[in-house]
Amino acid sequence: MITFLRILTGLVLLGLIVLAAIIFMPVRSTPALAALPDDYTPPEGSGEYVMRLADCSACHTAEGGVPFAGGRKIESPLGTIYSTNITPDEETGIGSYSLDEFRAALYDGVRQDGAHLYPAMPYANYRKLSEEDVRALYAFFMEEVEPVSNAGPETALPFPFNQRWGIRTWKWAALGKAGEVSTTGDALYDRGAYLVEAPGHCSACHTPRNLVMGEAGYTAMDGDFLMGGEIDGWTAPALRGPDSAIRNWSAEDLKLYFASGRNNHAGVNGEMQLVVRDSLQFYSDEDLDAVVAYLRALGDPTDGDNAPPVDPPRTIDRLDTAAGGTEAVLTAAEPGMALGPRLYLDNCNACHFVDGRGADQVFPELDGNPLVTAASATGLIDTILNGAEVPSTTVRPYSLRMPGFDHRLSDEEVAELATFLRSAWSNSAPAVTIADVTARREVAEERAAAE
Amino acid sequence: MARTEAKKDVVIVGLGWTGAIMGIELAQEGLEVLALERGPDRYTVPDFRYPDVIDELKYGVRMGFMQKPRNSTVTIRRTLQETALPYRKLGSFLPGDGVGGAGIHWNGQNWRAMENEFTLRSYVEDNFGAEIIPEDMTIQDWGVTYAELEPYFDRFEYVLGISGQAGNVNGQIIEGGNPFEAPRSRDFPLPPLPNTYDSVLFADAARAMGYHPFPRPAANASAAYTNEYGMQLGPCNFCGFCERYGCLNYSKASPQTCILDALRRMPNFSYRTNSEVLRVDLAEDGQTATGVTYWDEDAQEEVFQPADIVLLCAYQLHNVHLMLLSGIGEPYNPVTGEGVTGKNYAYQMNGGTTLFFKDKTFNPFIGSGANGLSMDDFAINQIDFAAEGFIGGSYITAGVANGQPIRGIGLPKGTPSWGEEWKTAIGEWYGHSMSIGSHGSNMAYRDCYLDLDPTYTDRHGRPLMRMTFNWKPNDIRMTQFMRSKIEPIAESMNPDTWQSSYKAEGAQYDVRPYQTTHNVGGAIMGDDPNTSAVNRYLQAWGQHNVFSIGASAFPQNIQYNPTGVVGALAYWVADAIRKDYLPNPRPLV
Amino acid sequence: MPLPDWKTTRRGFLGGGAGAAALTAMAVPLNAQSPEPEPLENYAPEYFTAEEWQFVMAATALLIPSGPTPGAIETRVPVFIDLQLASEFGTADDWYMAGPHDAGADPLLGWQSPLTPAEIYREGIAALNAWCEQTHEAPFAELLPQTQQEVLIALDEDEVPLPPELRGLFELLLQNTKEGFFADPKYGGNHRMAGWTHIGFPGARASYLEWVDKHNVPYPLGPVAISGERG
Repeated sequence: MITFLRILTGLVLLGLIVLAAIIFMPVRSTPALAALPDDYTPPEGSGEYVMRLADCSACHTAEGGVPFAGGRKIESPLGTIYSTNITPDEETGIGSYSLDEFRAALYDGVRQDGAHLYPAMPYANYRKLSEEDVRALYAFFMEEVEPVSNAGPETALPFPFNQRWGIRTWKWAALGKAGEVSTTGDALYDRGAYLVEAPGHCSACHTPRNLVMGEAGYTAMDGDFLMGGEIDGWTAPALRGPDSAIRNWSAEDLKLYFASGRNNHAGVNGEMQLVVRDSLQFYSDEDLDAVVAYLRALGDPTDGDNAPPVDPPRTIDRLDTAAGGTEAVLTAAEPGMALGPRLYLDNCNACHFVDGRGADQVFPELDGNPLVTAASATGLIDTILNGAEVPSTTVRPYSLRMPGFDHRLSDEEVAELATFLRSAWSNSAPAVTIADVTARREVAEERAAAE
Repeated sequence: MARTEAKKDVVIVGLGWTGAIMGIELAQEGLEVLALERGPDRYTVPDFRYPDVIDELKYGVRMGFMQKPRNSTVTIRRTLQETALPYRKLGSFLPGDGVGGAGIHWNGQNWRAMENEFTLRSYVEDNFGAEIIPEDMTIQDWGVTYAELEPYFDRFEYVLGISGQAGNVNGQIIEGGNPFEAPRSRDFPLPPLPNTYDSVLFADAARAMGYHPFPRPAANASAAYTNEYGMQLGPCNFCGFCERYGCLNYSKASPQTCILDALRRMPNFSYRTNSEVLRVDLAEDGQTATGVTYWDEDAQEEVFQPADIVLLCAYQLHNVHLMLLSGIGEPYNPVTGEGVTGKNYAYQMNGGTTLFFKDKTFNPFIGSGANGLSMDDFAINQIDFAAEGFIGGSYITAGVANGQPIRGIGLPKGTPSWGEEWKTAIGEWYGHSMSIGSHGSNMAYRDCYLDLDPTYTDRHGRPLMRMTFNWKPNDIRMTQFMRSKIEPIAESMNPDTWQSSYKAEGAQYDVRPYQTTHNVGGAIMGDDPNTSAVNRYLQAWGQHNVFSIGASAFPQNIQYNPTGVVGALAYWVADAIRKDYLPNPRPLV
Repeated sequence: MPLPDWKTTRRGFLGGGAGAAALTAMAVPLNAQSPEPEPLENYAPEYFTAEEWQFVMAATALLIPSGPTPGAIETRVPVFIDLQLASEFGTADDWYMAGPHDAGADPLLGWQSPLTPAEIYREGIAALNAWCEQTHEAPFAELLPQTQQEVLIALDEDEVPLPPELRGLFELLLQNTKEGFFADPKYGGNHRMAGWTHIGFPGARASYLEWVDKHNVPYPLGPVAISGERG
């Protein structure tokens, strides 16, 4: 699930430049990365596990629908894209796909009939999947998933975005090398690199886009890789670099965040809720350790400082409030205070407290929270208006929910409050305008009306 | 027409604290477990969402989270001669309904009982002689000891994330805790809550008089907490809306915060809401239950739900009501003293002194359900019953729970209840008073009991249960004793004025003002089928696959809030079923 | 980086020498979602008849009088009561109302009237007005305030002869009046949260951890309603 507007715009530009040559040339698919024997049988359970690693169900399952039967609506400003049925139904699913055809979809974004898939399908990342994992996935979808007949709605974007041949030009410019993942020879790091760069497809959201709207990097060797991106208007925070909040997280915090959607600093929000719900919580303990080791080793490519900072000590004595700044203004509770902190006391303080530190694993920190200080305030505004929810997971079953405040706060008040949050404590991010809030409220209302 | 559902291994009546505990413990055994809840489903968000739940009228006054008497109530009389009348609107006690039960709207005062409370009759006889027990007092031993329950108290406290300060760990007295408490195997899972001004003033005065104040054990988390099921609590923010409200802040231990989302993930557990159990169905020989019949509110029909094990986990009153309606145990007869079901209904004897200070500000809206400081210097194990002339005891305590104005503003005696003077007085005195309370035991008596009402019926046509209860001289002497101890503490604090409210000689039970929802007894546990309705594992004596779990099992009331004991008993029963009953279903005693 | 506005606003107010009352009233704008409602004299009751409305206006004005601070009338308590009686409270939806009834039973046994709260107001106001006509030659609302006061005292002290099923009238009226003064404004009373402000109750904020250990210091901040309206 990517930002389609920008990708498709770039796609159109390219399409116009190299128009004629590419329409009729036959497509050659990428071959298998390794030659496995014909009678190769994936280990028991590996298919479902690789499916979890790659999070196939998130996109290929409609809200409340049968798993993998497709039909999930993915809204873009240019039109609605519908995910496809990947159950082994012969007519409407992928039941008639050969292994090679299946691999071509994963690696090259090519459908059985030769049509090019929109890059909502992260084949830019899946093209790094090992042959063992491709085989495991193929076996899983062909043998373990029940066929479901569901033609689902056709994706029908308006011209020129409906010209799928244009995608081919984009692929030439945007895709990296199949099978290429970073390695150091350290087994834990290498496993982590594989998981993040290939099935986990983290960079689809967390890596900025380059001029042709491809991911600006596909492996740890690329300087822009995982330096932060955008998804549905929300900021997908940098996972490395000087602005990366998670660099201040301990290994334990990182691991718990992936396994449970919550840790001492933050709760998952936006699309990441689905990633934890459908994918990350199913990663094995060892694989989570590998992902964490890899991400922590990424460090900051801008200054070569790979040492994660030490967490400040946490105290459970919430009454030990500091003398100055935001905390003092909030604690004083003076009637003459400005509207921003007043709104915080009336709406946020109950859970996030005057120090903006929330509570470990329950209430996210607001001081230093990347959602609060993101370049785009969309995520923050949406959260204030509509609330949030961390998914129920095995290690933390409680689906903790924050209520929305759309009925209690006007657009002006949300703007005041968001601006306050972005400049409170150690935060320093630009103000939010009333128009920003009005726009997001309209989006929420449109979505509610569509449901 | 009744429909019949597919058979389950276990059917649970009521999804509150005990239902949730039994559900998760038995689902962990791999059993197919179904819980039937007569009320609606409830989640922190949206049902307790901030700020909508901060609505005193809806929840504090109109009792939005409580059972509606129209759907379920009792009749009440004070004597065997009186005609019982329906408890038509809620007052004296507030049974809850819905998923989470009373576990969502309690204050979170989570106590263990004293060792001698479990063996009360023996304790009195051994230490003071059987002759001091009044002729009509029917107190009994529980059939289980504190030492046996200790691991289960511990387990429950760690599931709930109790904030507190131990006073006695394995016999070692810890400074700052309750030196008179029964020994516990380890400290509380969370440190004590911070203290409000009133409780500090009280504790200082009590300490100056040689008493031993300690932090009240609270199911309001003092810090973020994760329990054995991975369930989580956030720190209590002293919102001042605890009792009668669901917690907006994930801070009050409840089935929702401590168990339910973990339980909902288990594929062999399910629950149905708006499903009120009408009776337990017994086999033809009456020796076992075959399941339960419930009313499916959505389908508007009766449903028979077969099951191998029936667990009564409803509120105390409803457990007893279901047993009376289903013929489980011989109904108690107050004239002959024979029969067991309905026997020994008891309540709670509380009192208090309110202190007014013109020059002190208490900000009473800043409070949690169970913060405060208490003393057990006059606890049930500290009193010479023979010398004082009563059996019982109380803890004495101060700590603000709320400052909600409709529910009442303390005003000095003689202030009119309306008009100019009242309006001036509430402006002057709101936030300038505090209370010291006593929370005490209530003994069981021959003519305090539960049976079926001969006149009034519920919406299903079943007889309402009839409560016969009144205050007795022994307990009034006990509360007057507490008054004599509290008033000197109050006076030593130099208030501008103070006033007391304790039951006095001749006090009659008044069903109108809220007193407490600590109704106990009626399906009491014990070691003799002739004097108790369930055995020490809360298993019905006559039907080994029926367990009746909750405060209905208390043979008389302890001096503490009952939830801690109810939770410990639930884990005790769960353990007995898991380890002993399932391998060989039979009477465990 | 210059301090954002919210950190400096208060200084401006204090520098201007504004009193605490002015600060409470003016510093923070009221929530835009709470326009001034219909004046009481134009209010069209949902439940009460005109005669009953006059009684409730007159009686609540005495129960919580106006003065330096708003009373029942300014806080729109009569509207609150009217709306409550038109709702499930008025019809006793939650209560066990099946017979037989013994309205004359010992009051300690609780509500035993066969009548709902709305019916008690209807029959009770009629009975009280009839008694006023009999003893003072005018319905309650037309009596002099001093006489009204005496009638209410008589009613409070059970000296007005009412049948047992109406016995709860005064208690109900007083309880509902106080509810209307202190309930969240969403129920029609406690207008502008004046009931809360009168006693210093901060309403639906429910968040005070940082204040628990501020012993003997008055909490300074005014109330907030469930709607977000600030007082």
